[in-house]
Amino acid sequence: MANYDYDYVEKAVEVSRREFVGILGVVGAVLWTSAYVATDLIQDRTKYIKMRAQGLYKDDGKSKVRQSHNNPAVTEMYKNFAGAPLSSLSEELFHTRYVDRTKLV
Amino acid sequence: MNGFQAQELTRVIEIDQKKCKGCDSCSSFCPTKATHGKYGWVHSVDTEKCVFCGQCLVNCPFGAPKDVVDPVDKVIGKLNNKNVTVVTSVAPSVRVAIGEEFGMEPGSLVTEKMYGALLKAGFVVGDTNYAADVCIMEEGSELIEKIRHYMLGEPTEHHLGAVPQFTSCCPAWVRYVELNYPQLIPNLSSAKSPMMMHGALMKTYGASQLWKKKPEDVFVVAVMPCTAKKFEAARPEFTNAAHYWREKGEQGSYPDVDAVLTTRDLARLFKKLGINLASESGVEDNGPMAQYTGAGTIFGNTGGVMEAALRTAHFVITGKELAPIDFKPVRGLKGVKEASVTITDAKTGKNVTLNLAVVHGIKNNIKPVADQIVAGASKYHFIEVMNCPGGCINGGGQPINPMGTSWLDKAKAVLPWS
Amino acid sequence: MKYYDPNAPRVLKHGLSSRLYHWGLMLGFIPAAITGLIIWLKPGGEDFVNLAMRIHIIGAVILTVSSLVYAIVSMDRIVAFNRVNFTWDSRDVGWFMKGGGYLQKMLLGWEVDLPPMDKVNSGQKLFGIGMLYGGMVLIVTGWILYAFIPVSPKSFIYWANLGHLALGIFLAMFLCVHIFLSIYNWGEFRCMFFENGTQPLEEARHHTPLWVANKVIPVRPGVSTTCLCGKEKG
Repeated sequence: MANYDYDYVEKAVEVSRREFVGILGVVGAVLWTSAYVATDLIQDRTKYIKMRAQGLYKDDGKSKVRQSHNNPAVTEMYKNFAGAPLSSLSEELFHTRYVDRTKLV
Repeated sequence: MNGFQAQELTRVIEIDQKKCKGCDSCSSFCPTKATHGKYGWVHSVDTEKCVFCGQCLVNCPFGAPKDVVDPVDKVIGKLNNKNVTVVTSVAPSVRVAIGEEFGMEPGSLVTEKMYGALLKAGFVVGDTNYAADVCIMEEGSELIEKIRHYMLGEPTEHHLGAVPQFTSCCPAWVRYVELNYPQLIPNLSSAKSPMMMHGALMKTYGASQLWKKKPEDVFVVAVMPCTAKKFEAARPEFTNAAHYWREKGEQGSYPDVDAVLTTRDLARLFKKLGINLASESGVEDNGPMAQYTGAGTIFGNTGGVMEAALRTAHFVITGKELAPIDFKPVRGLKGVKEASVTITDAKTGKNVTLNLAVVHGIKNNIKPVADQIVAGASKYHFIEVMNCPGGCINGGGQPINPMGTSWLDKAKAVLPWS
Repeated sequence: MKYYDPNAPRVLKHGLSSRLYHWGLMLGFIPAAITGLIIWLKPGGEDFVNLAMRIHIIGAVILTVSSLVYAIVSMDRIVAFNRVNFTWDSRDVGWFMKGGGYLQKMLLGWEVDLPPMDKVNSGQKLFGIGMLYGGMVLIVTGWILYAFIPVSPKSFIYWANLGHLALGIFLAMFLCVHIFLSIYNWGEFRCMFFENGTQPLEEARHHTPLWVANKVIPVRPGVSTTCLCGKEKG
């Protein structure tokens, strides 16, 4: 087997203290900024849901009437049409049955 | 195909084979493992398992899943038809999200602008929140009947289901029960969803008493945050208005809800008609079919149905209004929220303790609750279930938010392999 | 091909750490590049592309781990690599004007005079920059696209996917050039794979005169030159 001993090498890499601090600074800044941005983006991923929920609670808060049983239009409808909740007309129009789909082929 | 009734809609969500990268993230959000395809290969929707919730659609970074039911042109045709009265049923979740399609922030409450745009397009405005109030009256009464019968031992003349009672407004949840937990069907409230109640009402009470139109000339367009509502409206049993009129000697066969537009569809319709919602001013009062209370409007949030039901159940049982009116324990994004309320029955003076639960994002959260009920070990009396994480406000029909996802659990690495 | 003189002085061009890392790059990047193209084009069928995906992940792990280890163990080599890659002057312009002399030699048999080069020639400097920085972007976007889609903003994933694909295609093409030229320059191939990273000093002086003139020094007396670690031990 040939011998691949060598007599020459590359000089060792010199990093001055200033350069070292500079490299650390840049690398540190890049890593810290990306970590910060990433955690921010990930934590805010459901912010849009919370904002929409807040919108609806705001709509509730500013409503003149806040309970379903106090809705005059609903009371009117029962008086003039359906009678009362769970009446036979209410059962016919407002209630339904479900289907066992494991038996549907 | 298994699991469908005759003439039922079988295609709502399909995956575009050219856009799908096979990244498997839709599978992370699908509650029923209905997205088929190995990691890396294009995926497809198995409609026998799919509940049409659209979570895959709103979470796919590449826009591969598509809503293939597009009634926009049909609705525009009806709007242009002088002989047809086109009425909307606009869901609560739409008013805090449709602004996003016109450059506004998520959560911008644009009720009046939305009404203004609908009127400009030629719609008669009906608001699902009104029907949500009706739904509370019906479902709340059903729950109170069960409380009186099962917990207070009183006799009943109604045919009652089982306790705990599940809410039934969410059509993806209903299909989920019908496919995976048919033994729990007796626990589903017999009440329809507000949308279906509204359609039936508009073609009976609305047509004859409010608008004085023939029911077959009333075209009901529901505007929903939900793709599963397209499936729900097409369920063959929902022709109760036509049945009601046939019993009175009229002819005609038509569904209670004729078309369902998602929030995105409605925005597209407005843009097609050149209507910019952001610059609309609106009308506040739109008649009885659009009058709603605060309880009705919170239906779009997880915990909203529960809070609305509690406000009414509390009053009916105790004779006093719930105070403070904001019931915070059922609010927020926790997967399963619990609350226990002890109230005094005004009629008998007895104390009743109601154990309530609110479940949303059913992919991870429903199985323990449902299995407990199947085993007969559940302590709950009333359970609100919404398929979508956060509730209907984050439904499959809502505007797609590019900076967000529906992942409510702890942020963690998901490592697909097969 | 020069007549091989076994007694001629040799210089250490690639130390053991670098040679091992080069193996890591080959075992990691090449399968990842090939399977990456398969995943993009999706030929064959479901099982084939799924298998390609699994190989892609394994290649990515090998690439990531070997890069991290090299960065910890031989940060000085990365600093040297970066320094020489970003040292540009008129000699590099001259090198590009003549296309490195390759086409002339391959097609016409002419040997063209080129400006003197450092340890890496101008084309290699471009490749080095592309691989170092492009590689880092590929690794970071790759891991996000694998493990973190459900928790990341959708628009970010969309652009990360596009960037990962574009960079992957670009670097894969550049890699083909690297592989071709490394075989064409058979002396370099032998140096990296068969001769423990060493090269005859005269050959180095012919191809990389600036490196030999400015950065190469005799090994200090008393230092073992058969130690495979390739570092000076003092």
